[in-house]
Amino acid sequence: MSVFTDKFLATLPPPTRKSERWKYSPITKLLNNEISISTEGAQGINGWPESVLPNPVLNLDAYLVVFKNGTFEPTLSDLPVSDGVDCIPFSKMDQSGSLKFSNGYHQKEWIGELNETYRQDGLSLHVHRNVKVDRPIVIHHLTDGINVASFPKHLIKVDEGGELNVVIWSSATDRSSGMYNGLLEASIGPNAMLSLEKVCNEGGKVFHFSHEHIVQERDSKLKMHTFTIKGDWVRNELEIISRGKGTDSVFNGAYLPLGTEHIDNHTTMDHTSSDCTSSELYRGIMYGNSTGVFNGKVFVRPDAQKTNAFQQNTNIVADRGAAINTKPELEIYADDVKCAHGCTVGQFDLDALFYLKSRGIDEKAAKALLVEAFLADVLSSVSSTELSTEIMRIYTERHGW
Amino acid sequence: MLKINNLCAKVGDNEILKGLNLDVKPGELHAIMGPNGSGKSTLAAVLAGRDSFEVTEGSVDLDGIDLLDLEASDRAREGVFLAFQYPIEIPGVSNLNFMKAALNGKRTHQGLEPIKAKDFLAKVKECSSLVELDGQLRDRSVNEGFSGGEKKRNEIFQMAMLEPKLAILDETDSGLDIDALRVVSKGVNAMRSSDRSFIVITHYQRLLEHIVPDFVHVLSNGKIVKSGGKELALELEEKGYDWLKEPSHDTSNA
Repeated sequence: MSVFTDKFLATLPPPTRKSERWKYSPITKLLNNEISISTEGAQGINGWPESVLPNPVLNLDAYLVVFKNGTFEPTLSDLPVSDGVDCIPFSKMDQSGSLKFSNGYHQKEWIGELNETYRQDGLSLHVHRNVKVDRPIVIHHLTDGINVASFPKHLIKVDEGGELNVVIWSSATDRSSGMYNGLLEASIGPNAMLSLEKVCNEGGKVFHFSHEHIVQERDSKLKMHTFTIKGDWVRNELEIISRGKGTDSVFNGAYLPLGTEHIDNHTTMDHTSSDCTSSELYRGIMYGNSTGVFNGKVFVRPDAQKTNAFQQNTNIVADRGAAINTKPELEIYADDVKCAHGCTVGQFDLDALFYLKSRGIDEKAAKALLVEAFLADVLSSVSSTELSTEIMRIYTERHGW
Repeated sequence: MLKINNLCAKVGDNEILKGLNLDVKPGELHAIMGPNGSGKSTLAAVLAGRDSFEVTEGSVDLDGIDLLDLEASDRAREGVFLAFQYPIEIPGVSNLNFMKAALNGKRTHQGLEPIKAKDFLAKVKECSSLVELDGQLRDRSVNEGFSGGEKKRNEIFQMAMLEPKLAILDETDSGLDIDALRVVSKGVNAMRSSDRSFIVITHYQRLLEHIVPDFVHVLSNGKIVKSGGKELALELEEKGYDWLKEPSHDTSNA
């Protein structure tokens, strides 16, 4: 059954170009397809394609949780067993024990309601008070199939003083098409810390849509990275709400689309409490005929005095056919705050390129050095060098540097 | 070694080099002086392969190789080095990675294996001590936050690392205090040898007290209008350039 039935569309209409939030990321092409949820159950290694490894970051010592087309794969997963962490897929738990959140996203946005309606599975991840989870948890989503849709949603709760690192990695085989629609809600307790790395490395023609909603309590820390390595059409939405004093939010991202790929990053940082800091750095290089969107909202509410918020989006348009629409939006209602922001769109620094070449470094290698330097500020804050090295390795391989 | 014949170059519609001839033999150091706007830095950039200049006529031959046919990186691999008047800051690229990539680029071109880490570090140590470039500067991003003097010393450090056949120094003395000038000159003099040639572009005779040239040329309006020995620099210091200036095209009736 197609997920785009008339009945469903009547509830909330799909966004059109008239909506400011979707103006530069039209979804008409998606709506033209008949896509449906896979009815296959878990298949283990026998149903797994050869072209993708179940573990996307082999060198990283981590707990692995695998989903294929939205279905949990228990035999490929390695759920954390350490004390003080409950990490269970919803399909494997009784409803009474599951975490509950509600940010109302499904009532506001068509895409959110789609997830709400067709939700398949997801991880309920609860880190108890003062527990520091010993290894990162890697959640791997694979899309493999034609016109297939998956609708996962993960809930994360880190109690006071807890520490957790989660990597959400999505892959798709080259033959794949359809949609990945993944939501995540997280709550970071007082003095707790969450590192979240989201990596999209999808072949084929998959509409990748994800929305993270993160609430921070007093003195908590969030470190978030969003890397788009590969994806035909990708939209990352990130919403952070600082709800207690003294929170620190760092969220960075990188994207280097090729061909006709489309990449959209929408972020919202909502400061509602005083003495908080946030730092946002998104860097992109647009190649070929790719298109991109960056929209970064920062709210500083009346009670959020002494906020220190920094936002920067830097873009290089490497080829004539590529384009990026970038827009910072700051709304500041408090008077004792420090907010800096900047969006730039430029080209490779020709002076730097000539300087490198004049020392015997050929054009390709020189550009690779400049790209590496450009991405260094984003990559260097990733929680583990194993992960940042792997991401850089795939970028390098993909772009032939 | 280097033979420049009737070199003409322009940027946009603006002709800058108008038939320049220069012959540099192995081991020689040629100083090029001249008033502002005479084409000195253009000559340096054209030789190094900057593609914002268009060469319209002439030839540049380095030991039998037509330089003008080569990309900037290939010229460097053939042994051309340009010490920039304004070295570029490249945040995020470490000076050492930069030099390693440069050295290995050249070595690959020569059919050699990449340099061993140990040999590389030994070379770095030797070359940086030559220009008193301290360890911190070596390890930082290329020229980022360097003072003017540090940038120029970094240029000479790079020259020592790459051991060029032909080194072009574009106003290396500009922005240097007396002590830094001495250090940079010492580095250059240590590099002089019978098989390495230099073209030193400068406005001032001061540099040539430290780096003594074999020949001095005056470039004016895109051509060399006078050549002589090192004593020519002194004469210029005294008399200025006016007595040598070629009339520019705008006023010429010839």
